[in-house]
Amino acid sequence: MFTEKRKSFLIFFIPSMIVLAATVLYPLIYALIMSFTDSSLKRKGLGNFIGLDNYTRIFHDTHFLGSVWTTVVFTVLVVTLEFAFGFIVALMLNRIRFGKKIFFTIIIVPMLITPVAVGLIWRLLLHPDLGIVNYMLSLIGIEGNAWLGDAKLAMFSVVMIDIWHQVPFMILLLLAGLVSMPSEPYEAAKIDGAGRLQTFWMVTVPLMKETIIVAILFRAITAIKTYDLIFVLTKGGPGTTTEVISYHIYKQAYTFLDTGYASAMSYLLLLVIFVLSIVFMKVSRSQPQA
Amino acid sequence: MKKHWLIGIVTVLILSLVTACGSSKGDGGDKSAAAGPAGGTKKELNILMETVPDTEMVQKVTEKFTQETGIKVNIEAVNYSSMHEKLVPQLLGATSNYDLIVVDNYWVGEFTDAGWLELLDSFIQRDKFDTSVYLKSMFDMVGQVKGTTYMLPFYNYAMALVYRKDVFDDPDLKSKYQAETGRELKIPDTLEEYVNISKFITKQKGGSMYGSVMMGLRPDPISVEWLNYLYSSGGDFYNTDGSLRINDDKAVKALELYVDNMKNAAPKGAAGFGFDEAFNVFAQGNAASFITYNWMLPKLQNASESKVAGKVDIANVPGGSSLNGGWGWAIPKNAEDKEASWQYLKWIESFNSAKERALLGGSPTRRDVLADSDVVGVFPHYVKVQYILESSKMIPIIPQAPQLIEILGRELSEAVSGGKSPKAALDTVAKEVAALK
Repeated sequence: MFTEKRKSFLIFFIPSMIVLAATVLYPLIYALIMSFTDSSLKRKGLGNFIGLDNYTRIFHDTHFLGSVWTTVVFTVLVVTLEFAFGFIVALMLNRIRFGKKIFFTIIIVPMLITPVAVGLIWRLLLHPDLGIVNYMLSLIGIEGNAWLGDAKLAMFSVVMIDIWHQVPFMILLLLAGLVSMPSEPYEAAKIDGAGRLQTFWMVTVPLMKETIIVAILFRAITAIKTYDLIFVLTKGGPGTTTEVISYHIYKQAYTFLDTGYASAMSYLLLLVIFVLSIVFMKVSRSQPQA
Repeated sequence: MKKHWLIGIVTVLILSLVTACGSSKGDGGDKSAAAGPAGGTKKELNILMETVPDTEMVQKVTEKFTQETGIKVNIEAVNYSSMHEKLVPQLLGATSNYDLIVVDNYWVGEFTDAGWLELLDSFIQRDKFDTSVYLKSMFDMVGQVKGTTYMLPFYNYAMALVYRKDVFDDPDLKSKYQAETGRELKIPDTLEEYVNISKFITKQKGGSMYGSVMMGLRPDPISVEWLNYLYSSGGDFYNTDGSLRINDDKAVKALELYVDNMKNAAPKGAAGFGFDEAFNVFAQGNAASFITYNWMLPKLQNASESKVAGKVDIANVPGGSSLNGGWGWAIPKNAEDKEASWQYLKWIESFNSAKERALLGGSPTRRDVLADSDVVGVFPHYVKVQYILESSKMIPIIPQAPQLIEILGRELSEAVSGGKSPKAALDTVAKEVAALK
């Protein structure tokens, strides 16, 4: 019935397809169905079909809208700063000859720590009274701050911790892009008499465009979904200053047990991320090589 | 050809999804009914508990139970914040991995309302287990609900004022306070005076010590701490007729005092402190008072864990009514072998086991253990604890208590961080709590 080639294709294709479907597709479809019901963790089964009620409710939920703004601020800050910082470090790492491996290993360490551990470590470091950060500051005569307990500072602290944690990812991706670049355009630029800055803007950046877009897109998506760091560091507080969307959704599902509503919000988030991905992809393909 | 395969797989998946939903509804009921009194044959019991000292006491004494009965007991101890989300899916399923669970007092309304807990009355009557030995405030909270017994009280965590004797007895501070205010520096009778003293100590000690250390992290730490202020100011969640009074004058006054203390006496950053952070500040000797769980006292008196050992004492929260808290043992309705679960429950809550746990440092719920001469010999402060327990008040037992705490925690944090005025924050609480389904 099947040719040999088709058979071996199927043997490799079907198991992976089944695993993917069971772990990715099934929950996705289940959550989609759930988002149109009044499903709750208090009851068995999916609950009653209530059409688009959950989706309309989202737009009247002031706490959700507040968390959207917080997430936007968080994502923009985190992605921009991590990209800038990551690019600078990647460029420097690409140039040095000696000790590259050592630097690289040290820089990569934070990325290997799980977000919960990162949060716990920083909570201890930033303890206003007993933490080492304020102690170090006091040694040089600077008065310490209530990093996570001050409504004006909490977001800044969370952003800084996230940068510490996630910058290695940026460095890794961008460095890979830099290393794999051809050397000819650089030689040509040199012959044409281009300065360092010129070479960077006219050669490096255009050649790196694809990598940069992938890096930013990846990071933006994971930043929008940030939940664990917030959970450990601030629980959304003080007040609601660090309450991001994912944390808000988590509470709807596990504190308010309102899984139908939480699914609807999750789907909306998925939609936003999906649109974002498409836009980025379109942008990256619209001008093939400047 | 490829496309057909893909469509086929997706169809099968969707079908399996639909049938899975259907069947889970169906056999859920059947199984829980079938797993009735099957009769104590289970050789291993699984219990979900929290990582707290009282769990360690249980682990220590449970070996005896295994020796006596041959039943192995596996205790899974997890962090508080992951307990609720671990329990709910288990309780919803057709069968539960856990044969016995411990229930925090503010889950009681939710769990009993959802019918997740086995009724214990028939076991209690059959084996003539005496429940009158429990303190009334404990048994009303984590024992029975509306006359039906669902749980046996496991341990208490009523809150109290833990304070530094040496600071409150300091003659220098005392004379300065007398000179400045004309009043005596002592453990005060009112919350207002407590906040005054707290601010005075912080001002006098200029950053080396704070009048009180507080915990302003959302949602539980700030909520439970503030409820002491609410109850001690004469406020409450509900009037006797069931209407909400969480935003009345007394509640607003309680929140104003709380915010005042947080801003002017507590360490910088206390608005973000969780329980451990606040505890460490006190244990390091940097705070004069701390409204916390009464079972913290033995920990603070232990020189290997705290720098203030020997200098600490306990008192009722100024104003007289602290927040009561406690955990109850319960058997999930979908537990596999309820008879075996009950055998263990009966054993661990017997006078001898309860006393043994108390002697190891556990927090008793039984009056006979609290007053036992051996126990009081080791822990003399239990005389005060019994008094505190009797005058304390609990979080209302309603199914929506976890949601209530979440809303309350968020709004209190808003008030503390200056995002809202106390009145506006409590108005929001009242509005959202009234809308809870």
